[in-house]
Parts: sequence; structure tokens; C-alpha cells
Amino acid sequence: MGTSVQVKPLCGVYNENPLAYLVSVDGFNFLVDCGWNDHFDTSLLEPLSRVAPTVDAVLLSHSDTLHLGALPYAMKKLGLSAPVFATEPVYRLGLLTMYDQYLSRKQVSEFDLFTLDDIDSAFQNITRLTYSQNYHISGKGEGIVIAPHVAGHLLGGTVWKITKDGEDVIYAVDFNHRKERHLNGTVLESFVRPAVLITDAYNALNNQPSRRQRDQEFLDAIMKTLRADGNVLLPVDTAGRVLELILILEQFWEQHKLAYPIFFLTYVSSSTIDYVKSFLEWMSDSIAKSFEHTRDNAFLLRHVKLLINKSDLESVPDGPKVVLASMGSLEAGFSHDIFVEWVSDTKNLILFSERGQFGTLARMLQADPPPKAVKVTMSKRVPLVGEELAAYEEEQNRIKKEEALKASLIKEEESKASLRTELPVNDQMVLDANNTHSSSNAIGQRSEAFRDVLIDGFLPPSTSVAPMFPFYDCSSEWDDFGEVINPDDYVTKDVNMDQMLMPVDGDLAGKLDEGSVSLILDTTPSKVVSTELTVQVKCSLIYMDFEGRSDGRSIKSILAHVAPLKLVLVHGSAEATEHLKQHCLQHVCPHVYAPQIEETIDVTSDLCAYKVQLSEKLMSNVLFKKLGEYEIAWIDAEVGKTENGMLSLLPLSSPAPPHKTVLVGDIKMADFKQFLASKGVQVEFAGGALRCGEYVTLRKVGDASQKGGSAAIQQIILEGPLTEEYYKIREYLYSQFYAP
Amino acid sequence: MASTGQSLTSLKKREATTANNRDGDQLIITPLGAGNEVGRSCVYMSYKGKTVLFDCGIHPAYSGMAALPYFDEIDPSTIDVLLITHFHLDHAASLPYFLEKTTFKGRVFMTHATKAIYKLLLSDYVKVSKVSVEDMLFTEQDINNSMERIEVIDFHQTLEVNGIRFWCYTAGHVLGAAMFMVDIAGVRVLYTGDYSREEDRHLRAAELPQFSPDICIIESTYGVQLHQPRHIREKRFTDAIHSTVSQGGRVLIPAFALGRAQELLLILEEYWSNHRELENVPIYYASPLAKRCMAVYQTYINSMNERIRSQYANSNPFEFKHISPLKSIENFNDVGPSVVMASPGGLQSGLSRQLFDRWCSDKRNACVIPGYVVEGTPAKTIINEPKEVTLTNGLTAPLNMQVHYISFSAHADYAQTSTFLKELMPPNIILVHGEANEMGRLKQKLVSLFADRNTKIITPKNCQSVEMYFTSEKMAKTIGKLAEKVPEVGETVSGLLVKKGFTYQIMAPDDLRVFSQLSTANVTQRITIPYSGAFAVIKHRLKQIYESVESSTDEESGVPTLRVHGQVTVKQESENHISLHWTADPISDMVSDSIVALVLNANREMSKVVVESEPVVSEEEDARKAEKIVHALLVSLFGDVKFGENGKLVISVDGNIAHLDKQSGDVESENEGLKERVRMAFQRIRSAVRPIPLSA
Repeated sequence: MGTSVQVKPLCGVYNENPLAYLVSVDGFNFLVDCGWNDHFDTSLLEPLSRVAPTVDAVLLSHSDTLHLGALPYAMKKLGLSAPVFATEPVYRLGLLTMYDQYLSRKQVSEFDLFTLDDIDSAFQNITRLTYSQNYHISGKGEGIVIAPHVAGHLLGGTVWKITKDGEDVIYAVDFNHRKERHLNGTVLESFVRPAVLITDAYNALNNQPSRRQRDQEFLDAIMKTLRADGNVLLPVDTAGRVLELILILEQFWEQHKLAYPIFFLTYVSSSTIDYVKSFLEWMSDSIAKSFEHTRDNAFLLRHVKLLINKSDLESVPDGPKVVLASMGSLEAGFSHDIFVEWVSDTKNLILFSERGQFGTLARMLQADPPPKAVKVTMSKRVPLVGEELAAYEEEQNRIKKEEALKASLIKEEESKASLRTELPVNDQMVLDANNTHSSSNAIGQRSEAFRDVLIDGFLPPSTSVAPMFPFYDCSSEWDDFGEVINPDDYVTKDVNMDQMLMPVDGDLAGKLDEGSVSLILDTTPSKVVSTELTVQVKCSLIYMDFEGRSDGRSIKSILAHVAPLKLVLVHGSAEATEHLKQHCLQHVCPHVYAPQIEETIDVTSDLCAYKVQLSEKLMSNVLFKKLGEYEIAWIDAEVGKTENGMLSLLPLSSPAPPHKTVLVGDIKMADFKQFLASKGVQVEFAGGALRCGEYVTLRKVGDASQKGGSAAIQQIILEGPLTEEYYKIREYLYSQFYAP
Repeated sequence: MASTGQSLTSLKKREATTANNRDGDQLIITPLGAGNEVGRSCVYMSYKGKTVLFDCGIHPAYSGMAALPYFDEIDPSTIDVLLITHFHLDHAASLPYFLEKTTFKGRVFMTHATKAIYKLLLSDYVKVSKVSVEDMLFTEQDINNSMERIEVIDFHQTLEVNGIRFWCYTAGHVLGAAMFMVDIAGVRVLYTGDYSREEDRHLRAAELPQFSPDICIIESTYGVQLHQPRHIREKRFTDAIHSTVSQGGRVLIPAFALGRAQELLLILEEYWSNHRELENVPIYYASPLAKRCMAVYQTYINSMNERIRSQYANSNPFEFKHISPLKSIENFNDVGPSVVMASPGGLQSGLSRQLFDRWCSDKRNACVIPGYVVEGTPAKTIINEPKEVTLTNGLTAPLNMQVHYISFSAHADYAQTSTFLKELMPPNIILVHGEANEMGRLKQKLVSLFADRNTKIITPKNCQSVEMYFTSEKMAKTIGKLAEKVPEVGETVSGLLVKKGFTYQIMAPDDLRVFSQLSTANVTQRITIPYSGAFAVIKHRLKQIYESVESSTDEESGVPTLRVHGQVTVKQESENHISLHWTADPISDMVSDSIVALVLNANREMSKVVVESEPVVSEEEDARKAEKIVHALLVSLFGDVKFGENGKLVISVDGNIAHLDKQSGDVESENEGLKERVRMAFQRIRSAVRPIPLSA
């Protein structure tokens, strides 16, 4: 029997919500993708929370929020603890994307779903694979092999192939067959007839203009605005499609020697480009080739300036400029702020390069016609001043106090049995514990100073005989130079600071840009102030498809080529999903599924298979005929058993039973025409048939290309009067086939 | 008759294929270079008709054609895949020659970093050797052309070319160095190239492959020697340099431009930043090539170790503060102590040789040889500290400078090799890339190490082939309709055997299009024949020949039709024409041919419609005829066929005798091969002589 395969969508079916699907292969649960949207809507994760603890492995396909955004949260809160697999760029750029998301969110709200540490700890256990690396899963999933393959949408983007016993389950969402500036096209088409293909219907209804035309329109729109003294804002993702846009702009600026400044503004822009520079192996052949020849790294940017701080942008002299800023949804991040500033000036242009997520500001603006005015929330983190600061400090003090009290209580309890002389030592420890606590907060230090005074002394130390006020012997040692200073104390503190500074992944500390570091370290009490305002949308708004996904037409032809035995459709509007489902039912394969959320579908192949050994005796009698990359032969064999109980095929002892003749081969009329012509036969196409010589006609009915893939047996009709020519042509025709 | 002819040819072919199959199980490994020597690595391997060549280097001690591996031993056009492990000249430098000047038409693979450095390195090699060698193996143009043909492979990426599957592991030797694992029909061969299991300042240690190979082709450069621990070597290195420069001497480090040199520079840079007093002593790195390669080093940090990657996060560790580049000896202001690292490492020619000639007679100076030196190079000579050396201008000069030999070359030592092999447990080990003596000692030691395990250890010389036999079991997967139920022993399985690469599948013809990209076709034929006689005549005649002739009428036109042998439809199209209609297959084609002949005959003999009395052909006569034919055919196949007892035939071929029972088809013979052949031949003859069964 075939391998049992079940698919259960957890998020992102019949809509454009983030992607998360559970794929079970013989009881081994893969969570493929673990996405979240830019709103960080926890309700979307409910289905995931129900299955998270049962997941055995997580496969990530792309580095954007929609594909991996929920990973830190799921690891921290939902009990997801499985090993994670991704390519190196997905790991790196995914990490940066999450940093950017967090920092953008933190700037405008009391974001508490996850912290930077959660991001780090979720990412540090990712096993990094290279393209077409076969990774053999051990333990529970013994026998399963996973391999990432080029998807073409984002740098490092992955089509996952899960193989067990020769049966392939392929997960391919957001693939792009077109070769781009920085990426190669997907290799999805090289997989033929997988048992199950899981793909998306996101673009099923979209068709794209040619790349050249689109690029030209894109640059024209930007140049028009710049020449009219306007600014251009491109809301982009953190480290995904923006790379392609940067290359387009770089190249154009280089060719035309333009002086308009371009800025790439995210919290992690400089690290992004630094890392991208070292990912040449993952990029297109042309980039690799140009590096080999000239050692010019395509991402050594000459025109695009990297900014990590909005104040840097403000310090740039006025004048037309292009800004690429995250987030693409305009919900948060620098793009949001810049949008509010620029939206009411008619000269400016806001150019969307991707469809906004559903329900975001970007999506609203992409509506046709665009809204005249939109309501936006301007949020700002401001340091606390005056009364608020005092209140905050009081609150902090109270917390410290409680903590200290608790700590001392615990300590005292512990010291119950111990001698009174140990108290000072204990006290030291209490202090230490307190110290580490407060080091996370700058003002903690002060509360510590108050500590002794503030402790209310109505709790008797349990070791005392009679009730008494707590009294700690401050036994600091003195020498000739004053209090003895133990340098170690200070060293430890430094280390503490360092640890806090440095997220788990060591090398990131240096990579975090100053701005973000200041944000992490900025522990001055602050609050978020929000103001709602309505802005007039006066600037021009353009949407151009730079999403780097195959369009509807290509998806259909790729699916027809891949021709899976069973097809599962996910991610895409209800309309698109339904459309693609109907199309595929007709043209691709009879088993097309589009499950609802949390609906488990069984796509176990009904394929029967068993293994046999081919005995040497049998094989020595087999004559193979080569057909393309295949070799075929007809065998008649008797089943036997080998010593170790395997079935084996032996030659027949009696004459083989006759079998029906099969003609194997794929005949293309045009090719055959040329072949005949080369043999000196007059041929021409006439009325859908091939006229060979004077009287003989050759027709093909049920043409393979019309029926979508190799779904039908070819029917060829050869007609003609009894002539020598007839037999000659028949012979030629037979020569095109192999009849075992 | 036709079928007899076929069985004849197929018999012949069968013999040929049997022989082929025996050949196919033979795995041949031949070092074309680096067999019992160091340099010009090139190992040829062939199994099951697939051929792989590992590495394609030159011998640094020779020049011109003599430096090439023995390419004339092989036919380059038969090689499917060429795998290059790393960019060093002794592993990659004959590639442009091999690609451009031979008939090789296979595919070439190397890692990204190797490809990027390969071009720079070879262009440099061409320039440098222009000075010293006349007969150039290739030109700059050849290198550029070869770049077009080289394909890249990433570590762990699995590729398949022509049924050969291969992937590579980190080898640790230099940036981008790889160990290749090749899998042909389930037999795995690991070729380590140069490897090191020790992590250093910038490279990862060689990985231990996940699967054990059947054959491990491993380098034996250092034989049974043991390296000193890395920190001791580093200390000796820095101490030697420090003491020389503090005494006012100059230090020459002849090093190969790329690879280990980067490691040494990292060491020097670190030492200089920790020793303020040396600040005024300049370090020169005389290699414009290395400068050009820096971009490569800066880009492929993902091939390096965690240490360098975390440093890279802060600043580029390959941007040196204390080391400055030196273009040529003319630009070198030779005053006071200095440290110069210059290529080539063997002191054959170039800047390192010029400096050596200039400095060798001053005893304050020192030469630190930091890596493995190849036999036959001047560097090898001075390690033995001779009293005098011959300069490039032919004069002799006293060798007064101190010579230190501190090896930093990242080759595995005995400890690394033995643990590597112990963990990998390959049943066959082939040693290459080592001087004969070192290799012999290593072999001895390994033999005693693996004494209880029946491990074969082989040290072939150049062009000496190692032959091994692997009888791989061919496994097939029966799928689709054929596999609906698993057959019991004794049942028959008939279907298409489809082979792709080395995987076999058995399936029903209808399933072919489901499981492969092949498709099947039906050819329907219609032929019209002029015939103006009565349809009934044809019917009558057909009935005389064929057992099954059904008559009916065509539903559309109402004309009478005949269905002959259940396959061919004969239809009276008009007064003057009849048509035949059938689906092509050999039997139907034959039937239709006979009908055509019959119709044409009937046309000719139109006038006389005679009903002749059918001659009654007795069964006996039939059988006698058949027997005669069988005998004749057997004679044509085996020559000497006599009638024996009990109606048996005695067939003797080359002194072997087989008895054939004509009734049952049983064959008795001492010789199994003959028995099998006779049985098969008789079966085929019988199926040809017998009437065609109706149900086909």
C-alpha cells in the first residue's frame, strides 16, 4: 500500500490569510509554514494552538511574515517544540524580518506577544539546509526524506519535497517560474507526477504583463514623479521582494547616471544587505556569473543608501527622492509614518509593489477607486515626564519592593534551619538576586538603594526567638584604602549587561543596528501616545505586481506539466480557489481537493506497489529500448522467492502468453513531418491531417496537448489506398514507436 | 519465418548483453595522477557504463605536457561527470586543457567558491608560467571558455547526471574544498580530495559523511606523521618570525597564493595587534592575486566556520591593518627587517624565488616554509639545509639563512585519517595523493588497524587499475494495476519494465502514462483496395483460410462487413472498392496483409469461380511438416542436430551435447548454458511454427 498522507489546513484556505498547514506522512506530522499577518491577530492561530504540541517537524518555505511570522509565538506560547527546517537565507532574512516587525510594532504599541529573545530562541534551533539536499529524518519519521528546492519567489524560497518509499509529497506555494534579476525560476516543473502536490491558488485569477513592460512602467512612474519634484514611497517587505526592486533601481540609476537619492529604510536594512551579499550561491546564475567574472557583488549598492532610522531621512535635504520602507502593509513601521507625511501632497507617489494583506491600510488604498481620505492612527513612543514619570517610578518601586520582599522571605525561609551567623551571607545573595533582576531596568538601581528603608519590618525572621525588627549586619570589610572592592562583582555585572545586550545568537549583537540597539536598550520609561487623524489622499497611488509569483496562466500550465496524482489547493481567495479547482479537475487530474480550515483530508495514494528483485537470469534476457531518458522492455516472468524472503522475478519456464501490443512513444506531427521530408516523402499539413505523398493521410485524434498533459492515449489514424507508398509510410510511422 | 529471424538475432544479442552485464558489475578505479605521488590529482572511476573523473590537476614540479595526468589512458569522450574538489593547481589546473583540448563532452562540477577562485588562480598561473615555460598547456582564453562549461554545486546538494547521483561535504582544506560522494546504482564511492579534520581560524573541519561508502578514495599526504597541536605550531611560527625580525633579519614565507596563506595572514595580523613593539616591522603580502580573491573570501562566508562568521558580523576579518600588499620586487623598499609572504610556495620561480636568491646568504634572515612542499621543488631541497644552493642565474651561493619548516597545510595527519576511517568503516580504501614511502607506511598501519575487519587497502600507482566487483541487486517496484495484488510464488507477471537511471518499475501498459512521461499510442489503419467482384467471394475465400470470419452490416451505410480473426474489418465501400480497417499490431498487420493478397488474387482470378474440394490435410501430415521445419531451424541455429532415441533430438555444440524432447520441450544437458539456449530456441521456434492463437 502507498504511504498514508493527510493534509489539514490550520490557516489560509479560501482566503489570503497567512499560511500554516499540517501534513501527516505515515503519522509523522509536518507543520509546513507557520505564518502570521501584519496585525498579529491571535485568533488566526487558534487551529494551530490545538495541534502545536503534536507537530514533529516544521518546514518553512519563505522568509516573510506570512510564512513564518507565528514561529516565535507558537514556540513560546503554543507549545510548539519541534525541530525547524529552512534554508540559510530563509533563516537569516526571516530573523531580520521578525526583528523589523517587532521593532516597528514596539515603536507604536505595547507589543507583548513575543520579545526579541523569543524570536532568537525560536530561530536558533533551525536546521539549515541547502537546495536539493536530501535530509533523512531519523527517529519517529525514519524513512522520510525532505529536500528543499528552488521556489523563485523570495531569496532562499523553498518548494519542499517530502519523500517516503519513492512517493513524493510536494509543497509548493508562491513559486515563480520566471527568472528574475536576483533569483532563478522554480524547479517545480522538473518534478513529474508526484503523489501529492499542495499548492496555492493565490494568483489563479491574475495575469501579468511581460516583465520588460512592467519594469518600464514602474521606472516611468517613478521618474515622472521625481521630475515633477515629488517623492516616491515604496512600501516594501523587510528582506524579500525589496531585493529585486533595489536591483531594478540600482541598474536604472547606473545606466542613466541619475542623482536622485534612493533610501532603503528598515530597522535592519544594513544587516539585510550585508547578509544578502553573502548569499550569492542562492541567487540567479547571472549574478553568480558576473561575480565570478568581475567579482562585483550585485548587492554592493552604489545608489541606494541604507538607513535604519527615520531621523536620518529627515536630515536629508529636501528634494525629490525614492524611499523604500517597510512594512508593505502600511500598518506599522517607517512606511506608515512616511505615508502620513506624504499622502496629502499631490506631487508625491506611493507605489505598491505587492497586494496588501486583507484589511490593511495598503489594501484599502489599492481599492479602485482609492478612498479620498483615510483614517490613520499616529502612534509615538514618548518618554514619560512629570507626574507620569513619578507615577511610573512609584509603580516600579512598588514592584521592586514586592520582589525584594518576596526574595528576602524566601531567603529567610531557607535560612530557617541555618545558623544566624550565616545571615549576612544570605543577605548578600538576596542582594545579588535583586541585582540581576533590576539590571534589566535602568532605574532598578535606585530602588535597590531604598530597599533597606522600604522593607516594612513587621515580619519576624523565622529564626528569631522573639519578634524583632529585621536587622542586617552590614559587615562590609575595610582596609587601608577604604571598602574592599572585589573586581569580580563588577565584572559579573558587565557580563549581565552583555548578555542582555547580546541576543542568544552571538553574532547578532554586532549586526543589530544602532538604532535598534538603542530601542532595545532604551529603558527610559516611555509610553505610547496615539492620535487618530484623517488624512486626505491626494498623492498618486499605483499598484504594480512585483510579487514575483507565477501568474494564473503559468500556474495552470505548470500544474498540467507536473500532473500530480492528487492535488491539494490552499491559500487564495475563495473565488480563485474555486476557479483553479474547476480548471484542474478538467485538465490536470481527477483528484483535486480544497479543504476548509481544520478539515482533514486524506490524500493517501490509492497506488498499489510492491517490490521485487529482478533476477540476473531474467535481466540477461531483457532487451531494453532507449526512449529519451527512459529505457523500456516487456517482461514476462515467474514469481519466485529469494533466500531472504524477497519476491523475485525469474524467467518463465513455459512460453510467454501473448500480450496486447503497445506502441510506446510520443509522436509530434510536426516532427514526423520533418522526418518524412528527410526521407524524401512529400508531406504537407492539410485540414488538420498530414498528407504524405499523394494519397496517404495521417491524422491524430485526442491530441495530448489539448487534453492537458499526458492524460490521454494518442490515437493515430493512417489512411490510404493500397500503394507501395502506404507501406513505406507505415514503416516510417512504426519506426517512431517502440512496440515491446 | 520472420519470428525465427528475430529469435536468432535476439539470441546473439542476449549473449552480448550477458557479457555486458558481467562487465557492468565491475567497478574500475584508475589514478591517472596522484597515484603514489603528490600532484596532478586525477582519479578515473567507471561502473555500470557510467564514468566519473575526480579532479584534474597538474604536477607542480613538471612543466608542459609532462605535468598533466595520464589522460591518454582513457577516452575523454566517455566521461559523464568531472568533479573538482578544490581550486589548488594540483587539483584543478589541467581542467582548461581537458575541456578545450580533448574530446571530453561531459559535465563539470565544483563549488561556488572554488569556481570563483579557480579563474583568478589559473589566469595568474598562465601569466606566471609565461615567464618560465614555453609550451603552454592552455591560454587565458581557454580558461574563460572553460568557465562557461563549469557548473556549480552547493555543499550537500544532491545532483543526478545520467544516473550518477553525487553530492559533496565540507573538506576543510581551503575555502570551498569539497569531498565528493558518488552513488552509482547503489554503490557509493567517497573521494576526499585534500581534507582536514581540524577546525582553524577560518575554515570548518571536514564533515563525517552520514553514510558509509563502499569505497573510500582518500589522500595520504602526511602518511603516518602526526601534526603538532595547532597552538604549538602557531607559537613556533610566530616565535621564529619574532626572533628574526627583532634581530634585524628578514623573513620570507613562500606560500601558495591562496588557501593556507589566508590562514597565516590571520595569524600574523592577530600577533601583530597583540605585540605593539612589532608595529614598525612591515608585513608584505606579495600577491595581487590574493587581493583580487578577497572579494571571494568576503562573499562566501557561509562556507567558513562560525568563528569567522561572527567576526564578520562586526567587521571584515580579511581587512588587515598590519599587512600591506606588495606588487613586485621593484616596488619593494628592502631596508631593515620585514616579513614577506610571497608565492609560489615551492620557490620554483616568481617573487618568492627572487627574494630567496637575494636573502639566502645572510644568516640573520629566515625562511619559514609553512606548508607541504612537493618533491622536486627548490623548497623541498632547502628543507634538508644543504650548504649551498643554486640560484636562478645558475651561480651557487651559500645557504646561510635559517630555514624553518612549520606545516600549516590543512591535510589530515595519521590521527585524523585513522579516526576518520574508523568512523566511516569503508570496506575498501584506496590511497592516493601521497609519496610512495609515506603511503606505504600508512598502508601498513591501516592494515594492522583494520586487521580484524577484512578491509581492503590498495595503493595503486598511476594508470594501475583497481578492479572490484559489486553485484548489485536489481530491485524493481511493481506499481499501478499490476500491483493490485501481490502475486504468489509461481504466478506470472507480465508488463512493461521501465528503467530510469538505475531505478526499475514494472507496470501495465495502460499505466505507463500515469507513472512516466512516456505515452502510448494506438495506430488505426485503413486501406482501400480496388475490387469489383462479389463480396461473397471474398467472404468465402476468407472462410477457407481463417477460423473466424463474422459477417455483419455496417450500421451507418448498411454495407456488408466482415470481421476477420476478430481484428480486421473488411468493408465493401463501393462497387469498385473494399476497405480494410484495423488497429495496428503485428498479428493484425499480418492478417491484413494476407487479406490484401487474397483480394488481389481474387481480382485476378475473377473469371473462374470454382469451388474446389478442399484437400484434407491430415493431422499427421501437419505434424510431420512442423517437425521438419523445427529440425531445419534448429540446424540453422546449432549446426549439428541429429535424431536420437524416443523422438529426441541430439544437439551437439563444441562437444557439449543436449537432448531435446520435441513433445514436451524438455532439454537435458550437462552444460547449463547450452541447455538454456536450446530450451529458449525451441520455445521460440515452437511458438513460430504453431498456428496463431485466436485470443491475442
